[in-house]
Amino acid sequence: MSALVVAHNTYREAIRDRVLLGILVAGFAVLALTQILKPLALGEGLRLTVDLGLSTITFLGLMVVLLVGAGLVSKEIERRTIYNLLARPLPRAAYLAGKWAGLSAALWCVALALGTGLATLVALMGHAGYVGAIIEAVYLEGLELTVVTAIAVLFSSLSTPVLSALYTAGLFVGGQWCDDLRRLATHFPDAFGRVLTVTADVLPDLSLFNMRTLASNGTPTTLGHLLIASAYALLYCGCALALGAAALESRDFK
Amino acid sequence: MKLGTVQNSTAPAEFHPARGPRTGGADDRDEAAVRVEHLSKSYRSNWTLRVTRGLEDLNLEVRRGEVFGYLGPNGAGKTTTLKILTGLLKPTSGQAWLMGEPVHRVSSRRNLGFLPEQPYFYDYLNGLEYLEMVAKLSGLGGADAGRQARHWLGRVGLGARARLVLRKYSKGMLQRLGLAGALVHSPELLILDEPMSGLDPFGRHDVRDLILEQRERGVTVLFSSHILPDVETLCDRVAIVIGGRLERVGTVSELVSEQGGSVEIRCAGAVVIEVPAPWRQALRLNERPGETLFTLSDPRFLQPVLAWMVESRLAIHAVTPQRGALEQLFLATARSATASTAETTEPERRSA
Repeated sequence: MSALVVAHNTYREAIRDRVLLGILVAGFAVLALTQILKPLALGEGLRLTVDLGLSTITFLGLMVVLLVGAGLVSKEIERRTIYNLLARPLPRAAYLAGKWAGLSAALWCVALALGTGLATLVALMGHAGYVGAIIEAVYLEGLELTVVTAIAVLFSSLSTPVLSALYTAGLFVGGQWCDDLRRLATHFPDAFGRVLTVTADVLPDLSLFNMRTLASNGTPTTLGHLLIASAYALLYCGCALALGAAALESRDFK
Repeated sequence: MKLGTVQNSTAPAEFHPARGPRTGGADDRDEAAVRVEHLSKSYRSNWTLRVTRGLEDLNLEVRRGEVFGYLGPNGAGKTTTLKILTGLLKPTSGQAWLMGEPVHRVSSRRNLGFLPEQPYFYDYLNGLEYLEMVAKLSGLGGADAGRQARHWLGRVGLGARARLVLRKYSKGMLQRLGLAGALVHSPELLILDEPMSGLDPFGRHDVRDLILEQRERGVTVLFSSHILPDVETLCDRVAIVIGGRLERVGTVSELVSEQGGSVEIRCAGAVVIEVPAPWRQALRLNERPGETLFTLSDPRFLQPVLAWMVESRLAIHAVTPQRGALEQLFLATARSATASTAETTEPERRSA
């Protein structure tokens, strides 16, 4: 219950922030830009629209996480607004879960708005058959942003906003290369190979949430993939938040 | 022994400063609204690794239903104590209880209203949204939270500004909102860190009224303040903390009378009289136009002095006890604590 109150407040903070409005405007501008660039795509206008539209959702969502999420806890500590909450019967873990849930909800709204814009645009282009795959791709991107938000909240409870943003961006980039790291590990001697494998296991496997290529061909994914990706996101978020809660539990608020 | 008297760190653990030898267990703690035992807090700098002591072996008890003033100069450890009680800081050693519950438990804050020093707020919220949020966090349901939020906004004089975003509130308005936030869920214990700071005389008057109103309701109030006349007016008991150590605890009159208040005796006309030898040191005589003023510095001599004056046929107009001010006591305590600290550290420095 108290985590929901914190989540509602965080959601309210995010949607009243001008950053989010700017991100939405930028997202729709990119969708409009795809229509201007279409004649240059040599007959691949649809692929360009879907691919660029989906990439924009991920990129802009990541921007929100880095600009808002990376300072979610540390800014509250710095501004001392956290006193208003933690001096009440609110467990620190519930506070952290609420912060994560609130920002994730705002990001889902961004993904939903831009995804709806993209799907509508594609349908207006006469390719309504692509809409199903686009919806699935947007859902997976929403999950990806939820995982990245959990990572940002974890770092935010440990460090300054700038460092949290850097660490989160680093893990986001590393998370795109998980499969490549595992493949690379097979080419190295045992010890170093094992280090690479463990690194790939610890990093968030964000390639699991990437179906942009499938969607730009109008090919839907399987229910199994969607379920596995959902379960993985839930588990990864749980672990990141548990670590963040443990870090926050031992913190003093001077 | 009086409640909350200063205790040395060498005292045995079974002996409590407030009650003498302990006879019970957790039940004893339940009687107090706030109990602090051997509380210490040190801070270590991340860069220099230097350790700074914030609190040192603090023992304190605030009884249910009393208004308790917590005094000390800047950096004395007042805010540190209040933050430990509200769960924002963790003690290095020692324990504390709120309403019988250890402060490390989240549930200890269920009946607590807290106003931090210079409260900070979410500037994107309006007053009503803020109060609704904190009311819900303190356990009130949706409709109840809304009702209480509106009531308390009105009570602190912000009813007309309920929909104004907090970034447009003045410092005084924010302080009032903070107070409303501390009271919105009708807590049994109020902890206020410098509640009068930043308020104009009207605001201070309102806060004083609010504190007195809460006392009428049976709420325990623990507050720190630098404004000593307010403390003197409001508090049942006060504690003075200096350099992280508790120096004095007691009612204002107890503490002030320890200062040795004098007695003024006014007599009619000019008096030609010799003061008997036993009181000559304690009784000063001051001729004024139309009256003579005697100042008795030791009130223990009052009865014999009055008897002597009656016998000597002096026309006594008024006998007025002159109470020492809390401010004098505060300054004297701070000076003596500083002096004793210097004395204890000097030999150490010499031997080092």
